[in-house]
Amino acid sequence: MDSNVKLDEVVMRFGDFTAIERTSLEIASGEFFSFLGPSGCGKTTILNMISGFLRPSEGQVWIGGEPMAGVPVNRRPTAMIFQNLALFPLMTVFENIEFGLEVRGVDKRKRREVSERLLALVALEGSGSKLVTELSGGQKQRIAIARALAVEPRVLLLDEPLSALDLKLRQHMRAELKAIQRKTGITFIYITHDQGEALTMSDRVAVMSAGRIQQVADPMTLYRSPRTGFVASFVGENNRLEVKVIDREGERVRLDGGALGSLMGRAGDDVVLANGQAAALYIRPEHLRPLGDGDSGPRLETTIEAVHFEGAWLMLETRLEASGEKLRVQLGSELAKRAAQALEPGRQIDFGFDPEEAVVLPDDGSPMVDEATGEVLEVAPGGNAKVGGEHVPSA
Amino acid sequence: MNSQRLLAFGLRFYIAVFFLYLFLPLLVMAAATFNDSRFPTITPWDGTTLRWFGELAADSGMWQALSNSLLVAVGVLCLAVPIGIATALFLNTVSSRAKPFIYALILSPLLTPGVIIGISTLIFWRQFGVSGGIFLTVLGQATFISAYVMLMVMARLQRFDRTMERAALDLGASQWQMFRRILLPYLKPAILSAAVIAFLQSFENYNTTLFVVGYDTTLTVYIASKVRTGLTPAVNALGLILILVTVVLAIAYEVKRRREQAAVAQSGQAMVLAESQEKA
Amino acid sequence: MFRQLSERFGRPVAMAILTLLGMWLMVMVTLPQLQMIDYSFRPNLLPAQLGGPEDVWTLSNYVTLFNNEIHRAIFFKTLWSSVLVTLLTLVVSYPLAYYLAKVATPRQAALCILLLIIPFWINEILRTYSWFIILAFRGPLNEILLALGLIDRPIRFLSGDGGVMVGMVYAYILFMVFPLYNAIESLDDNQIRAARDLGAGNVRTHWRIVIPHAKPGIATGCIMTFMLAAGSYAVPALLGSPGSRWFTQIIYNWFFEGGNWNQGAAYAFLLLVLCIGFMSLVMKFFKVGLGDIAK
Repeated sequence: MDSNVKLDEVVMRFGDFTAIERTSLEIASGEFFSFLGPSGCGKTTILNMISGFLRPSEGQVWIGGEPMAGVPVNRRPTAMIFQNLALFPLMTVFENIEFGLEVRGVDKRKRREVSERLLALVALEGSGSKLVTELSGGQKQRIAIARALAVEPRVLLLDEPLSALDLKLRQHMRAELKAIQRKTGITFIYITHDQGEALTMSDRVAVMSAGRIQQVADPMTLYRSPRTGFVASFVGENNRLEVKVIDREGERVRLDGGALGSLMGRAGDDVVLANGQAAALYIRPEHLRPLGDGDSGPRLETTIEAVHFEGAWLMLETRLEASGEKLRVQLGSELAKRAAQALEPGRQIDFGFDPEEAVVLPDDGSPMVDEATGEVLEVAPGGNAKVGGEHVPSA
Repeated sequence: MNSQRLLAFGLRFYIAVFFLYLFLPLLVMAAATFNDSRFPTITPWDGTTLRWFGELAADSGMWQALSNSLLVAVGVLCLAVPIGIATALFLNTVSSRAKPFIYALILSPLLTPGVIIGISTLIFWRQFGVSGGIFLTVLGQATFISAYVMLMVMARLQRFDRTMERAALDLGASQWQMFRRILLPYLKPAILSAAVIAFLQSFENYNTTLFVVGYDTTLTVYIASKVRTGLTPAVNALGLILILVTVVLAIAYEVKRRREQAAVAQSGQAMVLAESQEKA
Repeated sequence: MFRQLSERFGRPVAMAILTLLGMWLMVMVTLPQLQMIDYSFRPNLLPAQLGGPEDVWTLSNYVTLFNNEIHRAIFFKTLWSSVLVTLLTLVVSYPLAYYLAKVATPRQAALCILLLIIPFWINEILRTYSWFIILAFRGPLNEILLALGLIDRPIRFLSGDGGVMVGMVYAYILFMVFPLYNAIESLDDNQIRAARDLGAGNVRTHWRIVIPHAKPGIATGCIMTFMLAAGSYAVPALLGSPGSRWFTQIIYNWFFEGGNWNQGAAYAFLLLVLCIGFMSLVMKFFKVGLGDIAK
């Protein structure tokens, strides 16, 4: 059975507020697809349009090749796992799982067969007669999955279902969800603000911000080749340097880093970069390497401000001497050992990077992301407005 | 510190006096039932007797009044419980600019003296040729008892997690199935409590009933008329029986409520236990 | 409104909800009240005269009260006595509510509340009747006072307003205790402790901390108690005498002895206005809204 989901020119407005800008997207049958974005970006709205709780203001949702306009929630081939799970507290585990079948008029014996089978799938055999209030958080999670699967949905919608669990359990459940998805072959549409969840489980991820899909790609591409400044700073950690394009040769872009001198980077996929254009160079902390005196290439001179030992790696907070901007550097233990004597606050250290790993994107006025919390702060007006004379060479 | 202790002692003493004040009259009334005196009193004590129970049982007027009271109470339940539930659901669902006005209207029977509810009911139905009697008593009482039911159902409804509703619909239930299988079972305890309270309110109502009861008599009206004319300790016997029944009911209700709370606490403990096993 | 209801519950349930609510509010709450008010502005006519030239709106029923000195006196007595009953009940209830909410251990409080609820469940008539026995001319109270030598002759407790007021405080006290208790209970203990630490005495702590916090409870209790007292029929009928009649008794007489329903409706409407007036005053004074009262 075909279970692809298509958003066709969908727009969602609440009064004057546009929650979802015109969006088209196709999710393949059997895909594990995630919407990733900060709270308020519109991802839950999209889920509600697919499940039928919201009717799009414009455009249409298709599921399995059928238009969903006019199909109410209870007739859609979808099932949702709610953020708070929404298990029915007055019912036993059996009754919860069988609810969807009961309202469809499936007879009792058949119902019990299904629920036994699903309990086995989520490894909770024998707890069918318990009340759901007696279960632990992880057990509830599995019952919620079993209950949703009982109605044999073509598409399973998951609304941040792991957010209530503690860290260890959350990581365990990630693997379990992925396994269940593989076993059942159902299309999973997963919503989260946690990039770890999105990147580890998904076949593809749509990164959202302010009602707009910024980029749809598999996790690796998303990480390696962000298409917008928002994606670059929201997915994983990134240092952002304000630059100007000097010229471009294929993927290679020569950049004027202002006080930082001349820099190099790789042009992001499908981005247009005109000579002289204001742009941003994104370098991930783990792609910066300490340089010795003899090393050539672009050189970022910094002063160490703080050193954080994270076990497998060291995180350095440094400041660029030329521009005063912050630069975060992640050093693997090998590198850290080699440079050990120099790693303390106040020491000066130079870093270099492989231009292949540093992405150049047009300065698009993307929302600023707080480096520490991953929270979206604001949309910088006009992109590079704040750069001003400080970074532009006075020549 | 000393004056603090004196104050605390004073407060405790006050509480003791208060409960004495609350229960002594009832005890006096109960005691008077067993006094072999023509007039209900405990002074002087003319000897102990049980004959007033016999006289009460032989009083056909009392039995008629009792059956009327039960009939009225059942009628009130049939009206007030559905109205109260419907009103609570309405207030919980609808948002409209007219809502504050409707809300005030809904609460108004609680803030209107009972006699006025009785009077307005009596006057209103006169034009349709309906005069005082059991029917009007049911209508008059249900007018304000519905509001009590609404308050009790509302208190529980406000704690309802509406994602349950969404979950039920999402699993394919129709709105009716959701209502039947999810919302009503959730409201059930509140509805049962409200029904008990409504029954009692109806059973003991006097002010409203007085104006709409016509030539019929409910037990409360019967007791009041007995007190004013032809008073004998048989009234006490009736009072004692009613008190015992209500006390047993009240305690049973309270015990049931507490047991439910304990059950909730227990399943919470089971959950914590399951949680700790999971981590181990 | 129908759309919101039917989206949530489906059409049949939505229809049932609106029907029940509409029927209640129209046929049971609003129209009877309006009819009563309409009645109060019409003369008392024979059935044949209804709709005739004399069937017009008039203030004559209200003029009757104004001109009848006895009824006027009873109206005002009912007002003052009800205010007095309300204040007495408040004074008696406050220490109890405070004890339950802040002094008693949870077990003690639970027991006390159960003890309070039991009489609350018992018929108002029976509770009043028990005072009738106690206050009787040859009843236990007189006997005790005589035995103690405090009085020489038994007192007729049941002939003045005193007995009525004692009975009313007794009958309506729980309508004051519970709102007060609920309000005081929600006060953070630390606030009381902080006031004590800052050197505030008992009186000042109550006056500045507890009572302001309990305002919605006080307002609710006062409104309910006043309404019940002013609208009481059973207590004055059982514990009063012909010399201490209550306004409700006058109303009753217009209906069932005077046979003048229009006159009775006018008096009833005045009683309603009295209660609404008291309620608005209290709500304004304590600055609380209708929502606070319905808790």
